[in-house]
Amino acid sequence: MNDEIRVLQAENEALRRENNELREKLAEAQSENLAKESFLSSMSHDIRTPMNAIIGMTVLAKKHIDEKSRVSDALGKIEIAGSHLLSLINDVLDMSRINSGRMKVTSELFSLGDLLHDTLTIVRPQADARGHSFVFEAVGIDYESLYGDPLRLRQIYVNIISNAVKYTPEHGEIRVRVWEETAADCCTLCFSCADNGIGMTKEFLSRIYEPFERVRSSTLSGVEGTGLGMSIVKKLIEAMDGAIAIESEPGRGTSVSIRIPLRYESVSVNTAALAGKRFLIVEADTVMQELYRRYLDEFALPYRIVTSPSEAVSAIAEAEFRSERYACAILGRSCGDGTDVCSLASYLHQADGELVLVLISDRNWAEIEYRATRSGVESFIPIPFFRKSLINGLDEALRTSGGEKLSPGAPDLTGRHILLAEDNLINREIACEILSATNAEIHTAADGREAVERFEQSTEGYYDLILMDIQMPVMDGYAAVGHIRAMERGDARIVPIWAMTANAFAEDIAKARQSGMNGHIAKPIDVNLLMQQLRQLS
Amino acid sequence: MLPYQQRYIDNVRQIASLSDLYAITAPDFDSWYALLQQNGAALDALKAENTALLGAHLFPLMDALHAASAEDIAALEEFAAALMDWSTNLDCGIYLLIHESLLSLARFRRDRASIIKELYMVGMGLYYQGRRLLGTKCAEIDAFYFRNEMIFTEAGSYLQFFHEIDDEQTKGYIIRALANIAICTQDLRRRVGISQRVLQIVQDPYYRSMAPSLPWDVFLRRTHQQMSSNRAMLSRGGLSAEELSAVLESCQVVFQPESDNDTPNVRWLWPYYEMEYSCGFVDLSTTLHRMQRLIDMHPYDQYDMSGLYANVQLPIYYGSLVRRNPTLAHRSEHIRFLAGAYEKMMRVMMSCPSASFTDFFFYLVSLVVTDYYETDGVMSYREVTTALMRRLSGALYIRSQRVGEIMRCLSRAIVRDESGFFDDIDFLRALTDPVEKERAVTEYAYECGLYHDFGLIKMNFDRLCHSRALLESEQKLYELHTLSGHDDLASRASTARYADIALGHHAWYNGAGGYGTRYVRNESPYRQMTDLAAIATVLSEDSPLSAEERIDAVLAQEGRRFSPLLTSYLTEDSLKRQIAAILSRGDEASCRAVYKDLWGNQSDGKKEVKHG
Repeated sequence: MNDEIRVLQAENEALRRENNELREKLAEAQSENLAKESFLSSMSHDIRTPMNAIIGMTVLAKKHIDEKSRVSDALGKIEIAGSHLLSLINDVLDMSRINSGRMKVTSELFSLGDLLHDTLTIVRPQADARGHSFVFEAVGIDYESLYGDPLRLRQIYVNIISNAVKYTPEHGEIRVRVWEETAADCCTLCFSCADNGIGMTKEFLSRIYEPFERVRSSTLSGVEGTGLGMSIVKKLIEAMDGAIAIESEPGRGTSVSIRIPLRYESVSVNTAALAGKRFLIVEADTVMQELYRRYLDEFALPYRIVTSPSEAVSAIAEAEFRSERYACAILGRSCGDGTDVCSLASYLHQADGELVLVLISDRNWAEIEYRATRSGVESFIPIPFFRKSLINGLDEALRTSGGEKLSPGAPDLTGRHILLAEDNLINREIACEILSATNAEIHTAADGREAVERFEQSTEGYYDLILMDIQMPVMDGYAAVGHIRAMERGDARIVPIWAMTANAFAEDIAKARQSGMNGHIAKPIDVNLLMQQLRQLS
Repeated sequence: MLPYQQRYIDNVRQIASLSDLYAITAPDFDSWYALLQQNGAALDALKAENTALLGAHLFPLMDALHAASAEDIAALEEFAAALMDWSTNLDCGIYLLIHESLLSLARFRRDRASIIKELYMVGMGLYYQGRRLLGTKCAEIDAFYFRNEMIFTEAGSYLQFFHEIDDEQTKGYIIRALANIAICTQDLRRRVGISQRVLQIVQDPYYRSMAPSLPWDVFLRRTHQQMSSNRAMLSRGGLSAEELSAVLESCQVVFQPESDNDTPNVRWLWPYYEMEYSCGFVDLSTTLHRMQRLIDMHPYDQYDMSGLYANVQLPIYYGSLVRRNPTLAHRSEHIRFLAGAYEKMMRVMMSCPSASFTDFFFYLVSLVVTDYYETDGVMSYREVTTALMRRLSGALYIRSQRVGEIMRCLSRAIVRDESGFFDDIDFLRALTDPVEKERAVTEYAYECGLYHDFGLIKMNFDRLCHSRALLESEQKLYELHTLSGHDDLASRASTARYADIALGHHAWYNGAGGYGTRYVRNESPYRQMTDLAAIATVLSEDSPLSAEERIDAVLAQEGRRFSPLLTSYLTEDSLKRQIAAILSRGDEASCRAVYKDLWGNQSDGKKEVKHG
């Protein structure tokens, strides 16, 4: 009897447990259902809002197609709504991947400097647009090569800083700090972002990681965002075994701290190409000056810091005639006197073509590369830089600019073939001497006819460049180009042909272009300008 | 100098004389026009000859400059010196080309003395060339000024080798280059700093003892003059006590010799007065009365530097002071004085003989175009600048009239076909009466033609274009006339409606070519009129093509360079005939208008006065 009772009690207990479990599962299902309903409701609202703008504005634009200002206004709004919708879809997809467990964080070797530079190029313009004071500090960075997921790390940092930018009234202050705490073979990458924005209540803070939560404020209207960002950030940080902490006070601002443990790799610093070289640093920013001193002193590299373009020009003239030339000029974040760095680079390059110009900037290299390289800049080191990225960057710049074999400043055209058509013997000898610094193979022709014949006899694609004097006996440069361009061979129309002429009239240069030439070198040849143009071929 | 060089210089002088429409006197229009045509033919021949002289002699020498003899180079330097005497500046472009080439040569040879000298020469050439860019702001011009400053800086930086250099002339270039850094830099405070340093150097016995033959006292006086030109910093603030006292001292030094002079040079007298105002020693009223006295005491036909300064530069300063002080007491009296001063200023500019067209005179022209204060009760900016165009750029005026004629003709056809075609422009949209609208559109179109190349007035390209073909470097500056014209026109009520036309008439319809990159077609309500100006400009260019061929050339670029909405009208026979008639009748009608402007309106003295 007792046994039966015990059995019944056990069964009863099991049933109760089962019931409890079922109740919990039901509650869970109901909760999930509620979450899904809430998610769908929020999603439909958030998707519908920009869609309304897109559809409505499209109709309005069509209706007023002849009124350019209204059409332009409508297109602008459609563009904003479209990009908002895209970010919403991206966030939803991320959330979906995270919830389904399909989100994997990778572990690959990445450069911390590059990661922070990329982050800054995205967020700094946002901060500038709102007139914020944006201060970035990276201190105590011992390990620049880390293992982690750089894309997701950037997503986290951009999200946090963008929130600070958005939720801080115009002309606010944002301070971002990055540092490392190391132990054994692991370091913790620490990040903090503090603003003096609108802040959050305790009640809101408790819900901040829930999807679709956004701060509502009377002082900030029209804040864009999906409300998914912080949920994603939290999940990503958790997936990286990291931690996030937020402190905030309404009206005072918010401070976000993130700590993520990452493995590091010790990477050696290369200084082989730096031995015996002198550096000229153009930098007016005293904080940056301190960084240069710290890293260059560590490797006992000789340098001089100047704070303005005129000091730089003066230092180069001094060095030139003391035979103590600088191997490299570092154009820093602030070159002084509000100087356009490309104008300065261009001038320094013309004054001393052997000087290797390295640009150090927090700007997006892709945006400035075209102008910078044409101004003579050979290498780029992104800000923030650290010990390794600065020293290795300089080493790389000096190695790629020619090393031992070439004259510094001359591009390496080893394996390239240049045809030089020039009737004046002295000019020909001088041009050959100048061009020999590039290691290119130079062939010469004493008139246009000879140049045409040489090109004709060469195999297709043999010549990488033809330098063509205009006034020559037998056949002038215009006629020679005409013959070359008219040849029935694949490279006839594409081989670069540059006019070399003292004829400086605009119509002469236009005539050279019309005859089929695609470049112009003024005579007498300015060595540095020629090298600058030849760099296009390297 | 070699014979071709002398010939070139003689030609340039003759061109300057022949291209001055005011210098042609004749009893009636027919004989005046006959002389004008003769001059035109002579100008064309001289231009062709000059271009050929450079092509045949100068360029081949520069082509083989490495092999040139010392005599050839000496002749080249002499030629360059004759082209730029810092006063009349016959041909700054060729001067600069020569010295840029010599600089390349000096750098190649690593010849320090030559590098220093050529840096100085190139710096001076750039400075004078850059004066035509006064008042225009863009990245290209910033880069131009920056290069100019760096060229002088590089030459000046050789001061550290002063003791090593034996040649005192080279030492002189170093000192002059150092001082000239100040004239290129845009930052006034930096200018003060540079002049301060130069003042120390030129008074330092150490440097003086190393080059005793240099005119150190002249350097000192000129540096004080340069320093006194920074007096605007006194009212802006931001100077340290030391810098402030340096500017004050220079104003005093410059003023002293003039103060006891019965006929003081106003150019050096005025800085002291302005300094006294900026320091609060005298009030605005006293300052304005001082200006009035200086302006009144100079007859309009005093064309020396002091007279031009008093009669042209001071009225411009007077206008600036009135503008900057809107609550000025007795403002209406000052406006009345200003109106009179402006009229006198224009009389000076219109009557100044071409022999007095110095670099300073053209600088004053730039100043007037840039800083003229248009307000109720004074001559309108439109009238002032039209008069300057007639006086100083007669060929531009005639060519612009032809563009205006074509625009008038085309716009008439367009507005008759579609009355609202130009209705993006507010003042035209407001007109509802078709007759009134047609009149307004066609008149406005004509005026747009007249002002489309406005930027060329102060850039003084007209004479250069008469002298020879443009150099590549000049072509780049020339293209900035769109920007320069726009900025000056846009800032005055009487001309604002022509600004976009000046900016955009060389831009392509599809945005893929041309220049005037700041022009954004879709954002301009004047775009249809600008499109029209683009077509009229090309149709009216000097060309051996017939009217039919020119129109075909425009049609060939339909939808790319030119608006298809407008080119469609060019296929109409009647319109083609009208355009052909405008082009075939030459410039007689335009010249008749110019003749009337030059000689007819002089007697009646009518002035267009701007009223709000």
